[in-house]
Amino acid sequence: MLNNKNYRDQFPGLHQEVHGKPLVYLDNAATAQRPQVVIDAINDYYVNHNANIHRGVHSLSESATDLYENARKSLAKLLNAPSEKDLIFVRGCTEAVNLVAQTFVRSRVQKGDEILISHLEHHSNIVPWQLLCEQTGAVLKVIPMNDAGELCLEQLDDLLTDKTKFMSVVHVSNALGTINPVKEMVAKAHAKGVPVMLDGAQATPHLKVDVQDLDCDFYTVSGHKMYGPTGSGVLYGKAEHLEAMPPYHGGGEMISKVTFESTVYNAVPAKFEAGTPNIAGGIGLGAAAEFMMSIGLENIEQRDAELKSYAEQALLTVPGLRLVGNAKHKSPVFSFVIDGIHAHDIGTIIDHHGVAIRTGHHCTMPIFQYFGLAGSCRASFAFYNTEAEVDVLVGALKKAIAMFE
Amino acid sequence: MTDLNKLYKQTILEHNRNPRNFGKPESWTHHAEGLNAICGDLVNVYLTIEEDVISSIAYDGESCAISMASASMMTEFIKNRTVKDALEKFELFCQLMAKGSDVKHIDDLAALNHLVTVKKFPSRIKSATLCWHAMAAAINGQATATTE
Repeated sequence: MLNNKNYRDQFPGLHQEVHGKPLVYLDNAATAQRPQVVIDAINDYYVNHNANIHRGVHSLSESATDLYENARKSLAKLLNAPSEKDLIFVRGCTEAVNLVAQTFVRSRVQKGDEILISHLEHHSNIVPWQLLCEQTGAVLKVIPMNDAGELCLEQLDDLLTDKTKFMSVVHVSNALGTINPVKEMVAKAHAKGVPVMLDGAQATPHLKVDVQDLDCDFYTVSGHKMYGPTGSGVLYGKAEHLEAMPPYHGGGEMISKVTFESTVYNAVPAKFEAGTPNIAGGIGLGAAAEFMMSIGLENIEQRDAELKSYAEQALLTVPGLRLVGNAKHKSPVFSFVIDGIHAHDIGTIIDHHGVAIRTGHHCTMPIFQYFGLAGSCRASFAFYNTEAEVDVLVGALKKAIAMFE
Repeated sequence: MTDLNKLYKQTILEHNRNPRNFGKPESWTHHAEGLNAICGDLVNVYLTIEEDVISSIAYDGESCAISMASASMMTEFIKNRTVKDALEKFELFCQLMAKGSDVKHIDDLAALNHLVTVKKFPSRIKSATLCWHAMAAAINGQATATTE
């Protein structure tokens, strides 16, 4: 059983006031707060180990390199990747998707071929494919969703055609919280010979992810959603793919020999990590992975389930509130609208009660086009949130409604 | 009264409940769509300009109370003004609402000065100015306006 109080104390950002009220931070799907261990790891690098990595023979460079490479090992452990060499440090999921689109998929598609995504995708898993389609003449296909915000998987077999060259789908929806049955989807795609990337931005903060069990070809991780630094993330890829793929960016670090006539690329993963990376970010992300493993993903999943159940019942007591998306399997993310009050007005009013939520389309405009809405309010929870905070949210929403009456 | 109550209690909720000149008219001579990509706010402004005078103005769209009320107030304020005057008032309104400026009141803007409270909520300033950008775009023959 997770001792919520102790873990809350480890997040300094949670303990502040907004407009004179204690902060109730419910915008975790946009970015989570960071625990002190992550902040300390970043600080420790800059104070005690500040040097470039994979370069110098001096002591600081060696210790910085060790910290960075140990962080890669921590992430491999978190994802149960076969080897830390299967992980490429990136700025986040957006860069990971673009990297795979341009270095793995682009050479595999021709005019008329199909890329399959789903209706639940974040813009970052839509636009890179539209760019690829413009470049190659490939066609973007979309797995539809239903009124509950679940994918219509009975259509998946028909959507996976002879022309499908790649499938990229979100593991957990940032807008609705829907948890997709990705293991089953990967198996179906593989049965047709289609490689699969999973967008794990919203999954790793909440779920135990095992890339070998999922058998996905690629998996993306966003550092700042899982209590790590912004501008950090990793792309997992199956070793045989990473070996075969050309580099993404050219520069230092990704080479083993350069002459003006030709260049020999470095081994994976350095081949994909041109230039001095976000060293402190990678180290901080490793600390976040260790932190999550020390809590135990099973404990986080259990706490999520408790919060989800409590919050759902509490939100439904708010007059005129309608939840958008009610998938059977979902993370503690609630999109909702309230009759007669625009989401931005709600966001501004409850901010004055200390409550931070996201309002708008959450970078998933097609989802809201489906529901005929311009956007929604979204309250997204982390394991450090409490039932008392749910009550503050509900009270603030009722005050907003009273203001408009 | 708190800033929040000032923002919502006074003019804005009244205009939000009883918007003036709301709805797509049967005819118009100038039209533009105002889009706030970050918020997803959308306001359409329809003008009929006869001999350089804005003889009628209407709006519709989907956005927050601040945006809707600001558009309602703008239509009342702009109707029957010359195009030149309307564009001058647009400049004045932008000065009144400029983020970080200490302008608290501009006489020529009359009742529109009520909206100055929005400046205390910097993330919402664009909600108040969107309709004005759309009106100016319509006059200038542009199809779409943003607050960026």
